[in-house]
Amino acid sequence: MKMDRSKKEADANGGTKIGRAAGAKPESYLPIQAEVVDIDVESSNTYLLSLRPMDEEDELVAVNYSPGQFLMVSVFGLGECPISIASSPTREPLQICVREAGKITQGIMAARVGDVLGIRGPFGNGFPVGSMRGKNVLIAGGGSGFATLRSLINYIADDRRDFRDVTVVYGARTSQDLYFTSEYGSWQAAKIEVGITVDMMDASWKGNVGLVTSLLADLDPVPGTAALCGPPMMIRAVARDLLGRGFIEPEIYISLERHMKCGVGKCEHCTMGRYHVCTNGPIFSYDVVGDLI
Amino acid sequence: MEKIATICVYCGCGCGLFLHVEDGRIVGASPSPAHPVSRGRLCVKGWLAADFVHHPDRLKTPLVRKGGRMVRGSWDEVLSLTARRFKEIREESGPDALAVLTSAKGTNEENYLLAKLARAALKTNNVDHVARLCHAPSVAGLGFALGSGGMTNPIRSLLSSGAILVTGSNTTEQHPLVAAHILEAQSRGATLIVVDPRRTQMAQLADIHLAPRLGTDVSWTNGILNLIIDLGLVDEDFIIKRTEGFSALKDLVVQYTPVEVERITGIPSGDLEKAAVAFGEADRAAVVYAMGTTQHSCGTDNVLALANLVLATGNVGRDGTGIYPLRGHQNVQGACDMGALPSVYPGYQKVEDPAARERMEAAWGTDLPAEPGLTAVEMMEAAEEGRLKGVYISGENPMISYPDRDQVMRALSSLEFLAVADIFPTETTALADVVLPVASFAEKDGTFTSTERRVQRVRRAASPPGEARPEVEVAADLLRRLGVDADYASPEEVMAEISSVTPSYGGISYQRLGISGLSWPCPSRDHPGTEILHQGSFPIGRGRFSAVEQQELAEDLDYPLLLTTGRSLFHFHTGTMTRRTHLLDRERPKAAVDINPADAAALGVRSGTMVVVESATGSLEIEARLTEEVPVGTVYIPFHFAEAPANQLTARTLDPTSKIPGLKRTPVRIRRAE
Amino acid sequence: MTGTSAFFLRREDLVPLLEELAETLEVVAPVLVEGEAAFATWRGGALALDDKNPLASPMEFFLPKKEVLFRYVQYSGRYTFSEDPPRARLIFGMRPCDLQALKVIDGIFGAELPDIPYAGRRRSTIIVALNCTSPGEGCFCRSMGSGPGAEGGYDLLLTDLGRGYLVEPGSPAGVYILRAHQRHFEEADPEDQREKERLLALAGEEIIKRGPSLNPEKIREAIDGVDWEEAGRRCLACGGCSLVCPVCHCFSVLDQGVPDGERLRCRDTCILSGFSRMTSGANPRPALGERLRHWYLDKFVYIPEKTGLFGCVGCGRCSRVCLGEVDRWSLFKEAAE
Repeated sequence: MKMDRSKKEADANGGTKIGRAAGAKPESYLPIQAEVVDIDVESSNTYLLSLRPMDEEDELVAVNYSPGQFLMVSVFGLGECPISIASSPTREPLQICVREAGKITQGIMAARVGDVLGIRGPFGNGFPVGSMRGKNVLIAGGGSGFATLRSLINYIADDRRDFRDVTVVYGARTSQDLYFTSEYGSWQAAKIEVGITVDMMDASWKGNVGLVTSLLADLDPVPGTAALCGPPMMIRAVARDLLGRGFIEPEIYISLERHMKCGVGKCEHCTMGRYHVCTNGPIFSYDVVGDLI
Repeated sequence: MEKIATICVYCGCGCGLFLHVEDGRIVGASPSPAHPVSRGRLCVKGWLAADFVHHPDRLKTPLVRKGGRMVRGSWDEVLSLTARRFKEIREESGPDALAVLTSAKGTNEENYLLAKLARAALKTNNVDHVARLCHAPSVAGLGFALGSGGMTNPIRSLLSSGAILVTGSNTTEQHPLVAAHILEAQSRGATLIVVDPRRTQMAQLADIHLAPRLGTDVSWTNGILNLIIDLGLVDEDFIIKRTEGFSALKDLVVQYTPVEVERITGIPSGDLEKAAVAFGEADRAAVVYAMGTTQHSCGTDNVLALANLVLATGNVGRDGTGIYPLRGHQNVQGACDMGALPSVYPGYQKVEDPAARERMEAAWGTDLPAEPGLTAVEMMEAAEEGRLKGVYISGENPMISYPDRDQVMRALSSLEFLAVADIFPTETTALADVVLPVASFAEKDGTFTSTERRVQRVRRAASPPGEARPEVEVAADLLRRLGVDADYASPEEVMAEISSVTPSYGGISYQRLGISGLSWPCPSRDHPGTEILHQGSFPIGRGRFSAVEQQELAEDLDYPLLLTTGRSLFHFHTGTMTRRTHLLDRERPKAAVDINPADAAALGVRSGTMVVVESATGSLEIEARLTEEVPVGTVYIPFHFAEAPANQLTARTLDPTSKIPGLKRTPVRIRRAE
Repeated sequence: MTGTSAFFLRREDLVPLLEELAETLEVVAPVLVEGEAAFATWRGGALALDDKNPLASPMEFFLPKKEVLFRYVQYSGRYTFSEDPPRARLIFGMRPCDLQALKVIDGIFGAELPDIPYAGRRRSTIIVALNCTSPGEGCFCRSMGSGPGAEGGYDLLLTDLGRGYLVEPGSPAGVYILRAHQRHFEEADPEDQREKERLLALAGEEIIKRGPSLNPEKIREAIDGVDWEEAGRRCLACGGCSLVCPVCHCFSVLDQGVPDGERLRCRDTCILSGFSRMTSGANPRPALGERLRHWYLDKFVYIPEKTGLFGCVGCGRCSRVCLGEVDRWSLFKEAAE
């Protein structure tokens, strides 16, 4: 039941308004409390935290979101920062992928199972999963940007028949920096083509070495819709490559990262020209932001 | 909401501002439009001046060391312990085993009472403060040349200048409101000459920028004077009527030809000439300087050379002229005025002068020591050697701000008793036997005296946190416990006593201090104050020239780079306040060493690389930042950051006259960190 | 007291009226602090209405420079939160430019996901505006269409006619005040209304005469022609232009206190590099010049797109506080009419 409902919500939310969970008011600065129920180590400086809202009335927050949306996560005493949701609304628990960057992310990573974090959201538009249905989908990630794409990949995998060819390309600095390695097999089993590459060779790595764009040359994805997240250099290179393959600008979606304080379009930290990344984004199509990144 | 008019706590500009108070809590600040310096403006620190006041880290209860741990104590317990230990040390080792370091962040009233505590209660002249590390050379140098170490003119006088020479001052960052006046003068047509090895924003905005090698200030100053004499641009009338000693100076500076100056300083002779012409030809010219001039082992010589320049061109005693030693702390001028110095009573009356001593003995009703005491850096040496045993430190953080951090650590650790009063825990309170929580500037009444000798009212806008008390009460309490009458009902009564014993403050009372305050000397109740000094004559009669020569510069092949230190716009001093101000700390969250890209390339260092900087004194690990702001061969570290304390590297080489350490020039070497 | 839209308040009745209002509300008004006009809680006595509009805008009563969003208290790993309710206030003497700023902020903080603390204060604040018959130097509200006369957005509007004030209600709350305190008011003479128009016309001319006279549409076009690198070189990064601007509203959020403490919201400024810098160190607007440009683009392009109103109300405060001696509007010389 829950899954069906969340799918509908995610489709409805994607690309439009902020998802509203029953228990939380997104415009309130008061977070809801969520317990850390599990912690996975994704890389030396990245943890995957599973969260469960503590109050019954907030439970829907854990499923009422869309791939590509983010949460404002609090460690009381250190502050609050935006973290993208790494899980798919089709699967519980709610998960966030946290990479050590500043003192708040350090504080989140210091949390142990049973500790309480504050969360607000979900915020942002999310990927337009509704309009992606029935199309070929290319998903390209670089570095820590892969966390938000994992949400989309699992969302598609759980509803695979609604999408045509699905291809994932992902690059990290070294093999130690690759996220979600245990899941690649399940994606392939769901008929998702997966290409992985690293920048730097090491003894344990037998796979590709090179840029994400080199994977595109190998896999030769059929034009359709694309979802990108990663460092600006990688985004630019992949977008250029895709345009050369016949993808069109309005169908290339990019997830952007900015400094944020509120999540609701007020504090002005995340402005990018006329856009607020928190409310107009974080997913933008290339025709809108191509010249801003 | 209430709005309380007060004075900013940071630099010496002494800006007037309003604190916005809601339900007993300070929620913001805004500039005072009618204040003569701020004129409705503030720098970024000023806009955020009170942001640290309610920080949860504030010291709220007195602390006392018991069994190696700091535990809560009552005020009565810590003050009676402090008084008892000071008495015991005095009886066992004599009064000169005790010392007081006062605070340039404290009010005049607090500094006055703490200096009185040292002299009248502890019976020692061992009292000093951070001025030792900033303008001691100005007090010595300008005191000799002009008869007063104070800034000769008010800041707004710069608006009438035709040429302004700024040296050793990163004015836009350290004294932004002075910079605003200088830039306004420039937009009205004044020529701005900036002499600084670094390409600071001020240097970039200058009409003429001279970038000398570190430590060659006497050379270029003498060189400019030589050119001015050559070009016939000296004010002969002024020299004859109001000065003495010119001919000896003239004979000396002949050696400082443009070619010779270029050899020593690296300043192209053509640029030196341009500066000499601009300064010499201006009808009204001013010299502005700060720590880059004074913090050298030849700091007093540097000041004397600049004084020569203004005297020879007759640029004293008129609007638009003068010499501006910019004070770094909002009340470092006042702390000096109040006699928080080892050699003088309030108003610079010498302790060695029997007449002055008799006057003070009569006023304070007790006998006073005759020998000048130890200076701040000498105190650290005396403590290390065991001669100094008990110290009271008010709001200073020598662990970060003094040279040779390891030695300061040894010195303070070897004391038998250390009492520290502060608003936040610091690296220095960590070494204390008792910690006294005191009120911040926003929680007390009193006065500050700004860099332009402007005595201004500071007003209480909120209550101190927890049990914290204004230090004026703490000092009075200690005075009483040590047997000296100190029944002051308010800081205003302390000011009444100050004005009765300090000739230059004789006419100052709270009632008279309006929005513009009063500039000293203000000797009597009907005196309007003195904005421009030396108008008809000098306090010493004639102005004195000094034939000062370039000091030999020590070079060390093992340490091929020169380190200079300073402050950033976004932080103040050891960062106890600014690093607890969210927007300021966010702006400059960590230390970095500035390296010229050419040097960096040779060292194999990129921006963000961790490097080890080593000097003969010590070493530290710090991130590198590549910038053309520093010239080849020179590196720069701001000293705010406890995690990368620049003063780990600096040495205690003291200026013989003023005892200031040469913080601005330390030979270092750099390598990539492992 | 019905049927008429304007009333007259005699000069000597102003303080008694405020005294009555202060019995139930906190009255904020321009008062003299050490001789200077500033908006603060009125505690009786004289008002500083003859002075120019105070430098610190009364917008701080809607968007405080610093406020507690909520307090958190930890008990065995879980938190409880508390928030302060907004306080009932009356702001007296708010000028048309600041009133216009409030309308702009309504379009940002009051619209689409309304900001709860702002909305609460907005609801609990009564505004008694004062038309600007003595404009300050450097004001250009007329160019921005925000003054010298107020148009809507107030509960009561006063115009100083010399011997007293013309009082016009603009909301049910305003009408209520007129009724509840009717002994202080008399019906206005039609001549009073004409006198108001005459005074505002004079003030408008005065503003134009003193300049700057600017055309916002032309400023918008001129932004890309400005040498922002040079402007950045002269900027001393004080942030004053944003901190004094009644329309600037950006903020930062931080926690103070462990394990119990407060989540604070404080005013921020996009002039600082840390404002947009991400924890990775990357900064979308690394240079001061770019940040200054953004400041103007926001006011003349982005805010109008969002709210239909210019993000500048012509109060002139940014030029008054500029530490870098940049006349903020001479940057757009070609934009002058």
